[in-house]
Amino acid sequence: MAGLSITNITKRFGDTEVLKGVSLDIADGEFISLVGPSGCGKSTLLRIIAGLEDQSTGEIKLAGNDVSGVRAADRNLSMVFQSYALYPHLSVADNIAVPLRMRQQKALQRLPMIGRFVPGQRQIRHQITRDIRNAADMLEIAPLLERKPGQLSGGQRQRVALARALVRDPAAFLLDEPLSNLDAKLRVQTRVEIAQLHRKLGATFVYVTHDQVEAMTMSSRIAVMMGGRILQCAEPDTVYHDPEDIQVAEFIGSPKINILPVDQNATGALGLLGQALHLQVEQKCQSVRIGLRPEMLRLSGEQSLLTGTVEHLENLGAELFAQIAVPGLENRLVLRCDPSQRAAVRLGATVGLDFTPAQALLFDQDGTRIRRVHDTSRRPVSTAEVVQHGRT
Amino acid sequence: MGAPDITLQPLTKDTRPVPATVQERRAAWLLTAPALSLMVLILLLPVVVAAILSFTDYALGNDTFRWVGWKNYSHLFTRRTYEKMFLATFTYVVTVVPISVGLGLGAALLINSLGRFREIYKTIYFLPVMATLLAMSIAWEFMLHPSIGMINRTLELGCGTLFEAIPLIREGCADRFPVWLGDKRYAIWVISFIGIWQGFGFNMVLYLAGLTSVHRELYNAAEMDGAKSAWEQFRLVTWPALGPTTVFVVTISCIRAFQVFDTIEAFWPQGGGPNKSTYVMMFAIFEKGVQQNLIGIGSAITMLFLVFVMLLTIVQCWLVERKVHY
Repeated sequence: MAGLSITNITKRFGDTEVLKGVSLDIADGEFISLVGPSGCGKSTLLRIIAGLEDQSTGEIKLAGNDVSGVRAADRNLSMVFQSYALYPHLSVADNIAVPLRMRQQKALQRLPMIGRFVPGQRQIRHQITRDIRNAADMLEIAPLLERKPGQLSGGQRQRVALARALVRDPAAFLLDEPLSNLDAKLRVQTRVEIAQLHRKLGATFVYVTHDQVEAMTMSSRIAVMMGGRILQCAEPDTVYHDPEDIQVAEFIGSPKINILPVDQNATGALGLLGQALHLQVEQKCQSVRIGLRPEMLRLSGEQSLLTGTVEHLENLGAELFAQIAVPGLENRLVLRCDPSQRAAVRLGATVGLDFTPAQALLFDQDGTRIRRVHDTSRRPVSTAEVVQHGRT
Repeated sequence: MGAPDITLQPLTKDTRPVPATVQERRAAWLLTAPALSLMVLILLLPVVVAAILSFTDYALGNDTFRWVGWKNYSHLFTRRTYEKMFLATFTYVVTVVPISVGLGLGAALLINSLGRFREIYKTIYFLPVMATLLAMSIAWEFMLHPSIGMINRTLELGCGTLFEAIPLIREGCADRFPVWLGDKRYAIWVISFIGIWQGFGFNMVLYLAGLTSVHRELYNAAEMDGAKSAWEQFRLVTWPALGPTTVFVVTISCIRAFQVFDTIEAFWPQGGGPNKSTYVMMFAIFEKGVQQNLIGIGSAITMLFLVFVMLLTIVQCWLVERKVHY
């Protein structure tokens, strides 16, 4: 097991630059998710780490050793593919055995029939059988060992692919959207199992997904990728509550964050639809937008910052999401409320919405987070108190 | 009012409508009847007729025939001519099938690994398949001519050079070069060579189609699993994936090899090569059944031919079901 260090990786396919200088340090034993919309370069980055693709420039270090130019088979990494990539003609046991046989046996020893008479074979064969057993037990696929991949369900194939990856002791595991071919229920279950597997093995996992829920629930850190760059790499909590960029804020979180345009007067004070927010921004921006997570909004009475009508309701049982059209705003706002508030948010009802301006996430015209914001509602204040989220 | 009902009851029982399932079955037979009758008439009936004729001494134009029992068949297994026929046929099949399949696979793998010029190579290798073998035979006949043919002329250039180390050229320079089509030692191999030259492009196209179905990610998986050499990746991924294609290609090649006829007819219209060394089954059928009007023996060879092809097909079906479908 080992850590990974990626420095300034770029990748071009002809004229298209897929990766534009990606740097990432992954500690030993960390579970890191590369998450982003399709086409953001996350799979390419994983394939470059694996050695299946060469980077155009940049450096990859595995346990401190530069592995650029080392071919995939020699990097001692395991990979689980989106399509599972099981060998269709081999039984489950043989599939799991392939990485062991390829590495531990010489070509002559792998020959069918003759192989078993080559000296020193017994021991290696016994060890391989034991290793297959252990991997199969860990993933609870022991009863399937004799079957062919064609006779397995999607979930079982996925487990076999995982078993094949962990049967030898690789420096790190690379997983390329391994859950995307499973149905919703199985995905949730497998998510838990992969996270538990990571805890049990304590190995380094690099997990590529387009599903932010998977990234949020499994990872120690999330690297959010867009347009060939890592926009933010931090713990799931930080990425959710303290995004660096409006694209990160919009990508992470379901339902999506509410983005509202705000006005800024000459002194830097902010107002929303003509109402003062009691927030002051130090720098002068062309435009300022605020991001409000659905749970930041709350229902309120007469004296509300925003008033609108309920246009659509999504009842998830434990929680209720209401889409509210506010006059003057282009997009509907999404409000998360408790099922107990159901009576108040009937379809077509007019509701007042409120939020604590100091909690809102502010972004400038480029989508970069504005950090230096002063809360002017409480006076007097010292700067130290009001600069929000001092941690970066 | 009750009386007519009672008298009517047995009548209604008799004219009760036919049950729906029976009606459906009848309609099904009716609808398949044209296809079935055509199949029997065009495909099965000739086979049955040939099978019947193989037990007779019928000749075209005769009003009657005699039943001769298994005599035609016993001739096939006792006469020297037919021993030569089997030898020529099996030599041809055993030579042409593995080599043309192997070359087809090799060419397909090479072409598949190309980035550019794929289509050009495909076309070039496929040209002999598209050409008429009869016309090509004439070209080959010229090239193989003992004195003015291109092949022997080329070999003569090797005289007095290092190429004399090759036995064929050494002997040719000392004495004379082979007569090829006139020599019983060479004739069947020349025919086999032309068969391979003509047929492997077809196998290549089939293999190219098979190669498109190999999952790209499997090669990545093989690489990650430590299969470094091209040979290991071929063994682990390509060859198993080509299993169904191979079974099909081998069967088709076998049937085509059993059917070889054009070249032999073009080179030796009167009798199956020097000392009957290229007297293959198809030519025997043609000679006996058409040229000599011995329908009985011709039919017997045809039936034997059919048995070989059927056996091949059964083996293919068995392999496809059991071994190569995952």
